[in-house]
Amino acid sequence: MAAASRLSTRVLLVCAAIGVATGLLTVVAGYVSAPVWAILPIVYGLVLGAHVVPGVIAQALLRMPWVALVTHLLAGIVASAFAPQWVGRYLGMALLVGGLQEGVAALTRYRHWEGWRFFISAVVVGAVLIVGMGFALDAGKLAPWAVTVFYALLILGPVLWTFVGLAIGSGLRRAGVARTTVGARG
Amino acid sequence: MTPLASGAPDGPGAPAPLARVRNLAVRHVGARTASPAGATLEIRPGEVVLLLGPSGSGKSTLALTLNGLIPHAVPAEVTGTVEIAGLDARTTPVSVLSTHVGMVFQDPDAQLVTGTVLDDVAFGPENLRLPVDEVLARSENALRRVGLWERRAENPDRLSGGGRQRLAIACALAMGSPLLVLDEPTANLDPAGIEDVYVALHDLVRHPDGTPRDHAILLVEHNLDAAVMLTDRVVVLDAEGRTIADGPVDEVLRGRAEELHAMGVWLPVSTLAALRLRRAGWVFDRLPLTPDELRAAVTAVPGPASAPRVVTAPVTAGEPVVEVRGLTLRRGRREVLHDVDLTVRAGEFVAVVGANGAGKTSLVQAIAGVVPVPRGTVRVGGADVARTDARSLSRRIGFVFQNPEHQFIAHTVFDEIAHGLRRQKLPDAEVHARATEVLRRFGLEDSAEQHPFLLSGGQKRRLSVGTALVAGAPVLVLDEPTFGQDRARAEELLRLLRELQEAGTTIIVVTHDMHLVTEYATRTVVLAEGRVRADAATADVFADEALLRAAGLRLPPLRQALRGVSHAALRGAIRLADLPGGAA
Amino acid sequence: MSVAADPYAEVAASRRFLTGLNPLAKLAGPLPAILLLVFVRDLATPSVFLALGYVVILTGARLTRTVALILGVALPLGVVVFGVGMSVWIDASRIDRSVEVVSIGAWTLYGGALEIGFATSLRLAAIVALALIAGLTTTGPDLVRASVQQLRVPYRVGYTALAAFRFVPRFRHELDIIRQAHRVRGAHGGRFGVVARWWGYVVPLLAGAIRHAERVALAMDARAFGAFPDRTERHLVPFGVRDVVFLAACWLVSAAVFVVLFPWTLG
Ligand SMILES: Nc1ncnc2c1ncn2[C@@H]1O[C@H](COP(=O)(O)OP(=O)(O)OP(=O)(O)O)[C@@H](O)[C@H]1O
Ligand SMILES: Nc1ncnc2c1ncn2[C@@H]1O[C@H](COP(=O)(O)OP(=O)(O)OP(=O)(O)O)[C@@H](O)[C@H]1O
Ligand SMILES: [Mg+2]
Ligand SMILES: [Mg+2]
Repeated sequence: MAAASRLSTRVLLVCAAIGVATGLLTVVAGYVSAPVWAILPIVYGLVLGAHVVPGVIAQALLRMPWVALVTHLLAGIVASAFAPQWVGRYLGMALLVGGLQEGVAALTRYRHWEGWRFFISAVVVGAVLIVGMGFALDAGKLAPWAVTVFYALLILGPVLWTFVGLAIGSGLRRAGVARTTVGARG
Repeated sequence: MTPLASGAPDGPGAPAPLARVRNLAVRHVGARTASPAGATLEIRPGEVVLLLGPSGSGKSTLALTLNGLIPHAVPAEVTGTVEIAGLDARTTPVSVLSTHVGMVFQDPDAQLVTGTVLDDVAFGPENLRLPVDEVLARSENALRRVGLWERRAENPDRLSGGGRQRLAIACALAMGSPLLVLDEPTANLDPAGIEDVYVALHDLVRHPDGTPRDHAILLVEHNLDAAVMLTDRVVVLDAEGRTIADGPVDEVLRGRAEELHAMGVWLPVSTLAALRLRRAGWVFDRLPLTPDELRAAVTAVPGPASAPRVVTAPVTAGEPVVEVRGLTLRRGRREVLHDVDLTVRAGEFVAVVGANGAGKTSLVQAIAGVVPVPRGTVRVGGADVARTDARSLSRRIGFVFQNPEHQFIAHTVFDEIAHGLRRQKLPDAEVHARATEVLRRFGLEDSAEQHPFLLSGGQKRRLSVGTALVAGAPVLVLDEPTFGQDRARAEELLRLLRELQEAGTTIIVVTHDMHLVTEYATRTVVLAEGRVRADAATADVFADEALLRAAGLRLPPLRQALRGVSHAALRGAIRLADLPGGAA
Repeated sequence: MSVAADPYAEVAASRRFLTGLNPLAKLAGPLPAILLLVFVRDLATPSVFLALGYVVILTGARLTRTVALILGVALPLGVVVFGVGMSVWIDASRIDRSVEVVSIGAWTLYGGALEIGFATSLRLAAIVALALIAGLTTTGPDLVRASVQQLRVPYRVGYTALAAFRFVPRFRHELDIIRQAHRVRGAHGGRFGVVARWWGYVVPLLAGAIRHAERVALAMDARAFGAFPDRTERHLVPFGVRDVVFLAACWLVSAAVFVVLFPWTLG
C-alpha cells in the first residue's frame, strides 16, 4: 500500500467522508439485512450489492488510483469503531469489494472512467460473491430455481447499486463538489 | 494599545521579520482574476497585525499562502514573494513552514483530529517526530496558556465553542511557531465564546502588565469590536486585494476611517458611531475605537446642542399571527421548553436570543411546525400547527435553516423557487411568472439556470429566503441566518429582511449577534433554560445589563459605550440609526 | 447493532485477558478456523467452534449488556430462525426424506432439510461467534494503532480513520437537519416518495461532508501531518508474549478440532 501514502491528505479525508456518509445512508441496508437473511435469504444479493457504493462514488468523483480501496477501508474501520462486534465482517467486505474495484480500475490502467468500466467491476464483484456465498450457504443443496435466483441477484445487486453510485457521483460533480481536489485531472 | 514602530523600513537593530509578503498575487484554479492581486505586508516578532479588506479581497487566501497550504495543498497560481523566516513559502514544504506559522481556522470542529484534548494538542508535535517528553512538555505548556490543562483528558466535543477554539489555538502553539495566523476565529461563536477566545489571545501576546510577549499574530477578523483592543498594526487590502494601508492602529483606523468605511471595510461599531456623530457636529480629536473610548469622548465634551433624540413610537403591530400558549416541549428524554407563552403580531420583527442550549431553535421550530407540538399550544394565522398538514402550513409560515444548502432540493435555481408553486398545483404560466418575479426581487435572475450549490454564499442565502417566501407565507422564521458569515453579508441579509418587513411580512430571527438584534429587531425575546426571561421592545431589553448577563448574553458595543451617558441626543440610543448625523 | 456513544472511549480497564491483548492477535487467532468453517458441512464442527467462541468470550471479556444480549439472545435466535428459513429452500429431491416434520398441502418439510438448514445456520453462527472475540473487546483507536504499528498500514491512512470517527456524529446530525429541512419544504410526495426523498438527501449530505473533510485536511496539513515517513507514537499497542501465546493456542486448538472431527471425506 506504499502508493496509498502518496495520496494527499485532502484526498484521504474526502475518501473518509464519502465512506462515512454513504455508511449513514446505507444504515437501512444494515437493518434489513438480518430479517432478509432470516426470511428470504435468496434475495440477499440485492442487499449485499449496496457494499459497492462507496468505492463507485469515490472513483466516479476523484478518478484516481487507490481511492476505491482506501474509501472502503476507511469506511470499514470507522464502522468497526461504532459497532465493534462486526469488525471482521466490515473489514473483510471492505478489502474484498474495494480490492476488486481497485483491481479492475488498475487493469484498465486508471484510464477508463466510463460507465461500462464500473459495470464490469460490478459483475466481477458479483461473481466473487457467488463463489463465497455459494460455499457459505451450501447453495448446492438448494432447489435449482432458488439457486438461480440467488446467483442472479448476487450479480444484479452490485450492478444496480453501481448505477446508483454513478448517479450520485454525477450529481456531486454537477454541484461542483471537490473540484479542486480533483485538480488537474478535472 | 502599544503601537510599535513597524511598517518602517528595517533599521539597524530592528528584529528580522517573521513573515515578509511582497506583491503577492494568487489566482485560484478556475478563477479568472487573482485575489489578492498585489498584497504587501511584514510581520515582526511580538506584533499583532490585523488584516482588513472587503469580502473576496483575498484575506483568507493570503493567510493560506503563509504556511504554504497554497499552493501545496490548494492548487493555485502564485506570483510575488512570500518569505517565512527567510524561507520561500512557495517551495518550502508545509511541514517545515508549520513550525514557523501556526494556523487557526474559523470552524473549531474542522480542526479536531483525535479523541482527547491532550491527544489533539500532541498531534502536531508527534507529526514532527519529537521525542515523547518534548511532545508532552509542549502540549502541557500550550494547554496551560489557553487554560485547558485541567480538561486534558476530556473529549473535545464536551468543550464549549469558545473552549474548542482555544484548543485550536493551543494546537497551533504546540507546533512551536512564533507566528500565529487566525482567520475569523470567532465567526462561529456566541458572545461568551468570543470573549473567551479574546481573553486567551490577550494573555498570549501581553504580559499581565501590558508589555508585549514574543508571539506575533496575524488576525483576519470581521468582528473588530473585539479585535482592536489587541491590535498593534493594521493592514488593509482593497477590493482587488492590493495593500492600500499599512501602519499603526492610530494612523490607519483612526486616521483613514472615512475612506475605509466607504470602501466597504467593516469598522468597530464605536468608530461608526463616532463618524456619524461627527457629521452631526461633534468634534473628536482622536476617533474612538472601543466603547470605553467612545464613552470617554462623548462625556468629555458637551457636544453640539442638538435636539433630544426623538423616540420613534413602536410600529403599531397588527393582528396576532403567531400565538404560543403554555408550550412545553420534550426532545428525547429532556424537557427543553417549559410552559412558554408568546404572541407575535403581524408586521413585527422579533429577535429570539439566549445562550447556547437555551431552547431558541426548539421554540422557533415548534412555531413553524418543524418539530411536532402538542395540540392547541401553537397557532399560526389562526390554525393549530399540530393539526395542519405540511403543505398548508408552508403557505402560512416559512422556515429558513441555518445552512441554506440543507434546504435545496432541485438542480437549478429556477426549479428551486418554482417547487413551492408547483406543489400548489398552479398552472405552468403562473408558476413561471411568479418564480421569475421572485428571482428578480432577490437579484438572482441571471443565475436562474445554475445549480444552487454553485451560487456564492450571499446568493445562496437570498435563494433560501426566496424559497420560503414564494408560497406566499406572511410569516418568515430564520434560525441563525448570520452564523459563520461576515458582518457585511449579515447586514445585507438583515436589510433584505427589513425590506420584507416593511412590505408586510412578519419576521422572527434567532441570532447570537447582539449588534444586529439591536439594529433591526423591534422586539426581543430572551430565552434562558427553556423559559422566556424577557419579552419587550428591543431598547428596553438592552437597557437591563444584569438580565442580559444572567441569560449568558453581552451588551452590544454601542450600548456599552453609551451606558450612563446623559447627553440628551444620545441617552438610551441602542442603534446607530438612533444617533444624530444620519444622512436623512 | 449497538452504537457506542464515544468511539474513542477506552474499554474500561478490566482484568479479563481479552481486553489486554493486541487487536491483531484477536483477529488473527480465530481466522484460520473461520476460513475453514466456510467449507464444512457437518453439524459437529460448527457446534464445537460455537461453544469454543462462547467460552473464550465469557471468560475473556467483561459481561456487559451488549455482550449478554448478543450471546444470550441475538445469536441463538438467529440460529433457529435462519436454520428453519434455510431448510424451506432446500431441494427435496436430493435429501434424506425418511422423517417428515411438517406437511402443508403438497409441500413437506423433511428432517433431512432441517439438518442441512441447521448445519448452515450453525456454521454461520460459529463464524460470527469467533469474529466476536475481537469485536467485543477491541476499540477503534486501538485497532487503528495496531494496524499502523504492526501491519505497516500507512499511518496517514490510520490517522485519517481516527479523524473520521468524528464525522459519524456530525454527519448523522447533519442528515437529521437535512431531513427536517426537506420536510418543511414538502419535498417529494407520491408513490415513490420514500425513494425520491432519500435520493434528495444524498447530494446535500455528501456535499457538506466532503467540504468539511477538505477543511479538516487543511487543518491537519497545517500541523505537519505526513511530514515524515513515521511519527512519534505515544500510545503503543505492543505485540507481546501474551499475544503470541494466544495466537498459538487458537491455532493449535483449531487444528486439533479439525483433525479430530475431520469433517471432510477424502477422495
Ligand atoms: N478554493 C478556491 N477555489 C477557487 N476560488 C477560490 C477558492 N478560495 C477562494 N476563492 C476565490 O478567491 C477570492 C478570494 O477569496 P478569499 O476567501 O481569500 O477572500 P476573503 O478576503 O477571505 O473574503 P471573506 O472576507 O469573505 O472571507 C474569492 O473571489 C473567492 O471566490
Ligand atoms: N433532537 C434533540 N434531542 C434531544 N435533545 C435535544 C435535541 N435538540 C436539542 N436538544 C436539547 O434541547 C436543548 C435546547 O436546544 P436548542 O437547540 O433549542 O437550543 P438553542 O438555544 O437553539 O442553542 P444554540 O444556541 O446552541 O443553537 C439543548 O439542551 C439541547 O441539547
Ligand atoms: Mg475569508
Ligand atoms: Mg439553535
